[in-house]
Amino acid sequence: MHHGLTLAPSYYEALKRLTLELAGVKLGTDHAFLVETRLATLAQREGFSDLNTMIKELFNTGQTRLAIRVVSSLVERDTHFYRDQKSFKLLKSHVLPHLHRIHKGGKIRILSFGCMSGQEAYGIAMTVDRMKDQLKGLQIDIVGVDYPSQALERAQAGRYTHFEVQRGLPIRDLIEYFDRDKEDWIIKPSIRKKVTFKEAHLLSNLNELEDFHVILFRGNLTHYTGSAQVRVLRGLSTRVKAFGYLILGTGETLEHINYGFNTVARAPGLYRKREDPPEEIIEDPTIKKPTDKKTFEQTKRRKRKMIGK
Amino acid sequence: MKTCLIIDDSRMIRRIAGRIIKDLGFDTDEAATSQDALEKCQIEMPDVILVDWNMPVMDGYDFLKALRSQKNGDTPTVLFCTSERDVSRIMDALSAGADEYIMKPFDSDIIESKFHLAGLI
Repeated sequence: MHHGLTLAPSYYEALKRLTLELAGVKLGTDHAFLVETRLATLAQREGFSDLNTMIKELFNTGQTRLAIRVVSSLVERDTHFYRDQKSFKLLKSHVLPHLHRIHKGGKIRILSFGCMSGQEAYGIAMTVDRMKDQLKGLQIDIVGVDYPSQALERAQAGRYTHFEVQRGLPIRDLIEYFDRDKEDWIIKPSIRKKVTFKEAHLLSNLNELEDFHVILFRGNLTHYTGSAQVRVLRGLSTRVKAFGYLILGTGETLEHINYGFNTVARAPGLYRKREDPPEEIIEDPTIKKPTDKKTFEQTKRRKRKMIGK
Repeated sequence: MKTCLIIDDSRMIRRIAGRIIKDLGFDTDEAATSQDALEKCQIEMPDVILVDWNMPVMDGYDFLKALRSQKNGDTPTVLFCTSERDVSRIMDALSAGADEYIMKPFDSDIIESKFHLAGLI
């Protein structure tokens, strides 16, 4: 533990367990300072006299609302506009033009999953606006979901600081899509109305969400434990429409399980949902059937051997 | 190595910006006035110019117009770095030929992001 930290080690361990259970994120011992600073701010905002009072209240009463506020504050990460340019390039060059060809005259829905303070969702809305001539006739609804948190409240307000609007956002986008309000910048109503923000527990049953043509889930995967990764990706796979897209961040892949998605050639991080959901695999030891090419080849070889005899 | 000329009448700003830009892999030079900067550009045109708006005698806006009318004056990437935050000022800067615009106060993340947006890194 760092010097000057006030949180009892037992409470720190309990917070680590809580974060793992609720958010699937493992906090390390080197996160102690971050835990203290973030939770001290949260305690002040929630009206507690200090951090320890808030944590005592949390573990003595088991308040769900407070537990979610605490955990979402701990897993919140810094983000900026147009983070990970590659995904936006894929959206512009491949995903949106393709969906336009299929759904021209219709409506599509895009989900920013784990939207934090909303920069990704608004980035999509600005990208769509810049492509409005190319995407003529296509109505696009954008939804951002994340844990209930101060970041999500800021996303809903669409208000950003002087520092935030200078990270990743081209100056031309700033003057076209934001209004200045003293020290802050507020997203213009024309862009704001294209985006809806919702609270969601990212690891829980995602059936409450509607289906989407595109889901962006970027830069989050590596923060989850292995089992949480499987849980969240399995949940997301049920929310992508047939032939819809899943966009992961740079370096993130569906490594071991495909969840019903195919890779898209020359587009790392982009996955396309198959027409039909993958068949449920029923484990029955009494049924033997060839499951892959290797087995089939082995069977053929066996048959050839028998004929040769 | 690419070169960046930092024009600001504040020595402190020149020093802070210079350190950040050096860390991004640029050679840096400084000018405290627009006139001094124009002379430096006549001798050797830098790849990048970071220029303040409010400076005595010749401001950054007039500097940019003068630069762009010089021979090879259209080659450097120009980023304003100023405390001016009015949208009308930003639009003026862009129409005079600025490539990006940094509002003070700034930090290393902002400079890096703006250099990235301007295609410099």
